[in-house]
Amino acid sequence: MPRIKIDHNKCTGCRHCETACSLNHVAGVANPRRSRIRVFREGTTYFPTIAGPFVDAACTSKNDLIIGDHTYDMCLICRASCPEKPFFIEAETGFPLKCDFCGIPPSPSCVRWCNSGALELVED
Amino acid sequence: MHGWIGRCLRVNLTKNDFKLEEISQELMNKFLGGRGLGVKILFDEIDPMVDPLYPDNKLIFVSGPLVGTGAVTGASCNVITKSALSGTIACAKLRGHFGAELKYSGLDMIIVEGRAEFPVILSILDDKIVIQPALEYWGRTTSETENMFKSSLSDRWAARDTYLLSIGPAGEKLVPMANVINDGFLSVGGAGIGAVMGSKNLKAIAVKGNHSVTVADGNRFVQVVTTLINKLNSAPLTSQSMSSWGSAFLVGLCNQKAILPFKNFQSSSFEESKQIGTEALSSAFALRSRGCFACPIACIKKADVDNRFYKGKGMAPTYLAIGALGLNCGITDLTNIGIANMICGEMGLDPVAAGGTIATAMELERKGLLTKDSLKLDLRFGNGEDLIQALTLMATKKGHVKRIGRGAKALAEEYGHPELFMGVKNIPLAPFDPRAIQGMGLHFATSNYGPHHLYAYTFIDEVLNVHEKSDPWTTEGKPELVKRFQDITAVMDSLGLCNWSLMGLKFNNFVPLINSCLGTSYKAEDLLQTGERVWNLERLFNMRAGFNRSHDSLPERFYNEPIEDGPAKGQISKANEMLDDYYGLRGWDNKGQPSAEILRALELESRDAKNKD
Ligand code: SF4
Ligand code: SF4
Repeated sequence: MPRIKIDHNKCTGCRHCETACSLNHVAGVANPRRSRIRVFREGTTYFPTIAGPFVDAACTSKNDLIIGDHTYDMCLICRASCPEKPFFIEAETGFPLKCDFCGIPPSPSCVRWCNSGALELVED
Repeated sequence: MHGWIGRCLRVNLTKNDFKLEEISQELMNKFLGGRGLGVKILFDEIDPMVDPLYPDNKLIFVSGPLVGTGAVTGASCNVITKSALSGTIACAKLRGHFGAELKYSGLDMIIVEGRAEFPVILSILDDKIVIQPALEYWGRTTSETENMFKSSLSDRWAARDTYLLSIGPAGEKLVPMANVINDGFLSVGGAGIGAVMGSKNLKAIAVKGNHSVTVADGNRFVQVVTTLINKLNSAPLTSQSMSSWGSAFLVGLCNQKAILPFKNFQSSSFEESKQIGTEALSSAFALRSRGCFACPIACIKKADVDNRFYKGKGMAPTYLAIGALGLNCGITDLTNIGIANMICGEMGLDPVAAGGTIATAMELERKGLLTKDSLKLDLRFGNGEDLIQALTLMATKKGHVKRIGRGAKALAEEYGHPELFMGVKNIPLAPFDPRAIQGMGLHFATSNYGPHHLYAYTFIDEVLNVHEKSDPWTTEGKPELVKRFQDITAVMDSLGLCNWSLMGLKFNNFVPLINSCLGTSYKAEDLLQTGERVWNLERLFNMRAGFNRSHDSLPERFYNEPIEDGPAKGQISKANEMLDDYYGLRGWDNKGQPSAEILRALELESRDAKNKD
């Protein structure tokens, strides 16, 4: 199954992946808020996050994740769209947005436009 | 309408009032947007003789039509006003993410008029426009302002999508060298704009929104962008040099050609700069690459510093910082240069203007005219620690250093040596020695925005030979080269494209990108003509503000004192000899006044040129 490998250390935060996704789903429309990949910054690191499952309740407990000497809130890296983190919902229609490996095969459109090597398509 | 949003926000701070306006199609066609549109509005709406710090001056923030579309390097937002430092027109080029977010917030442009009674922040979040009191922000550095504002928002996820532009203490205190800073650390040009923003009591602007930017031919546009990404990726300068070190990679190359100035342009730094090349940079800092919106090059390098002078993160030294805050002040310690550059970002000082002022002070000290006692600081060439202190004191107008806080020219004049001011139109020179790079020298003399390389990237040909091979030391073909780069820069700024991409792409490569985005059928010549139109309109503004041929000249040092040693030994600047040719090419008379014919050809004459005389 093809996978998108994400390397946080390489991501420059340019958000070209966001516009690529938006333009590929609705021709001619660039809007990061309609993208199925969003890039969040925390401290000195960027986290490209690809839309995952939709849940109608937020987690009842919070998790912290320690990487190196930084503690991250797991909500940041979590791919789910929940009431507390209502991402990946199209603003006008409320339509849930999901990654569908769009674009011209083999590479999904975000991977094609990511020049830093942060996003990469791998087969396993 | 594609690329464009078509809407502008006009804010009157005196009346504490704002309104939304439409931008006419005619204006968009003629000036494209960004810098071009901003210049046009300023030209039409203010008296060029106005005191820059009076409420009558206006401040215009404007993104180009390609910004936020996903067009490669389409990130640039221009800030246009009349400069508090030079009295000419001023233009900062904000990169990062502010410009794109401005579009997503549903606006191409914000025009700020008047003066607020007390400090305010203009916040445009999800179509809610608020002019909010900001007393608690006054005195804060730019990164503090950014963090405070974001943590004041109740929705922490919305805070992540909010982008800010602000001034630091320097702008608040009306220091003429102040500029605006966006995304908490970035500044590109625009000395004197921060003070204008400070005079309006406007601390910051925050934007966030949900609007879409549309592209005329979506499929073709995606294809062209993909091709351009691949092109940038196969060009060595953009894929390796710029993405590894940012503009700092130029240090070594410029040094080989004796272009890097040393000690207030007294000599070229030839030997010293070995310590400040790319290897030294990589060992002094752990560099992190940051891309502006939709930029595959990612030339912005961030780094952390933690020592007894400074703790924090900010922009790692760029070519400009290494030249202006480093070598030109005789400083070769990269850590000190890095700290100085970060302080400029935090305080909202322009590194070229501030560095040039300190270099002037250092030369005065060297000549025994300025003593340690009078400043309570030891501003000797090479003394990085005192330079770092001087920057903070200058920005906050504290201590005796405020004597130098009025800028390099005022300082040189105060001590009776105006000839030690190395600048043009009141603005210190960016770190390129005009004797060793003739085209840049001519551009420095003639630039509408003062001597800054960001308004004509001639070194792309003169040093890097990317588009054409051109020797930096000769004058042959230079007037043409200068005009071409000035026009290209003007049109790229108007569209919202970053000029560094010219290191990997030709201007022609952008034409299909522009057309598929805007739904137009421009040829390269049409676009360059728009650039020329913008350049001429800026010139008209400056002429009405009292500038003329006598201001298109470099300091005497560059004409009279040949470079003493090194590879460019014996070189002097020939900018004055090239001036008539340059005027001729531009269609200007020998006083530098655009002729009636050229104005007519550029469709500037009727309303633009006449009704103000
Ligand atoms: S395109 Fe790549 S480098 Fe840019 S933000 Fe997306 S993942 Fe990061
Ligand atoms: S080349 Fe550098 S300054 Fe220009 S858009 Fe890219 S990262 Fe920003």
